[in-house]
Amino acid sequence: MDIQSYIASGKLELFLLGELNEREREEVLALSKQYPEIKKELDELEEAMFAFDELTGSKPSARVKDNIFSSLESEFRKEETSKPNPTPASVGAKVVKMSPWKPFAVAASIVAILASATALFYANKFYERDQQFTALMQEQNVMADNLNQVKLDYEQKDSQLDKIVAGDYKRVEMKGEGFEMQKDAKVDVFWDQGANEVFVAVNNLNSLSDEFDYQLWAIGDDGPIGIGLVNPGEKFTLQQMQAVAQAGAFAITIEPKGGSESPTLEKLVVLGEVA
Amino acid sequence: MEEEQLVAGLRAKDRKTTDYLYEKYSRALFAVISRIVHDSDIAEEVFHDSFVKIIKKIDFYDESKGRLYTWMANICRNSAIDKLRSKEISQSSKTNTIDDFVYGMESKSGTVEQTDTIGVRELMDQLNEDQRFIIEYIYFKGYTHSEISEEFEIPLGTVKSRVRASLQVLKKNLDRI
Repeated sequence: MDIQSYIASGKLELFLLGELNEREREEVLALSKQYPEIKKELDELEEAMFAFDELTGSKPSARVKDNIFSSLESEFRKEETSKPNPTPASVGAKVVKMSPWKPFAVAASIVAILASATALFYANKFYERDQQFTALMQEQNVMADNLNQVKLDYEQKDSQLDKIVAGDYKRVEMKGEGFEMQKDAKVDVFWDQGANEVFVAVNNLNSLSDEFDYQLWAIGDDGPIGIGLVNPGEKFTLQQMQAVAQAGAFAITIEPKGGSESPTLEKLVVLGEVA
Repeated sequence: MEEEQLVAGLRAKDRKTTDYLYEKYSRALFAVISRIVHDSDIAEEVFHDSFVKIIKKIDFYDESKGRLYTWMANICRNSAIDKLRSKEISQSSKTNTIDDFVYGMESKSGTVEQTDTIGVRELMDQLNEDQRFIIEYIYFKGYTHSEISEEFEIPLGTVKSRVRASLQVLKKNLDRI
């Protein structure tokens, strides 16, 4: 038969428009199975009709969709509750038969998702542990620093104690009684006359504003000599001063920041004579 | 989604598949109806009934007798023609022409529609007078080929070959738009 003239007859178009009678429909279907050219033409025509419809149309309003789906609501529910239903079952089997790769693809996807989830889970765990470990390391470093500081402090105190115990220290009590500045002030001087070393230990001394310092003076035959600044905050610790070979008394005055060449006598805070 | 899967999902009354079908085909199917039924409220009503019918009657669809879109389009087309010939809108339907349709589309706002309309107009310009006549009567007035033959005294064979020729023009030009 002449396929081209059959195609050209316009029957395929009428078939798609639903205008053929039953006998003619069967004929078109039979021929399209027999001749790939006819099948191809039929498919192309249908594509073109769909494309034409798609092109000339606008979407129905959203309200229409809502109405349609609420009209169909009972359809969906009826099927969902009346399982097992033979129709979906046979359809399901058909799908499997036609595309056997799908279940495997689904299974593979599930395995991949599970594996990814597991990997993520452990990656997350690892990250958490790593964070904790880093935190612990930092804590340990801080503690090591603290320990070093304590060790330094201890060594310093130990050496001071050694000096006090081993040396020949004379304790000179300086008091604020009798002066106007700070009546309850009390600072001790420890002086090793043999080694010339001097320490002070603050017992009670008011703190000063930033512009001023306490200055320790050794008063000897040549008059007062400034031998260092005293920190009022460091109470009951030994603060090392400059060496003194000869002194009859020690005194502390308030001086401008950094200390002075000679003491400001009006601001004498404490005084103690060497016994 | 393959057509087999789509049909299987519809037969299982699966909501997602139905939603997919709607999203993919509602525009084209609504066009089939609104070409013939111009009143947009009535066209939407016809579309509603047709779509519900498609879902409810999906078990009657036979894959060996043609593809899904053709089956659905024919349901829509026939519902639209039935509506057109029913008394309620027969008065206003006499003016259905391509120009009315294109003009109607242009009068709607929205740039997307505007672009499409230009495409339709270009497409229609590719048809000669005879072909344009055929498309107008078949697509926009819902005539069958034998009705055209009878009413305008054109031999049936001529109508058929003109239908063929018109659709060939559309088919060739649709790719270019």
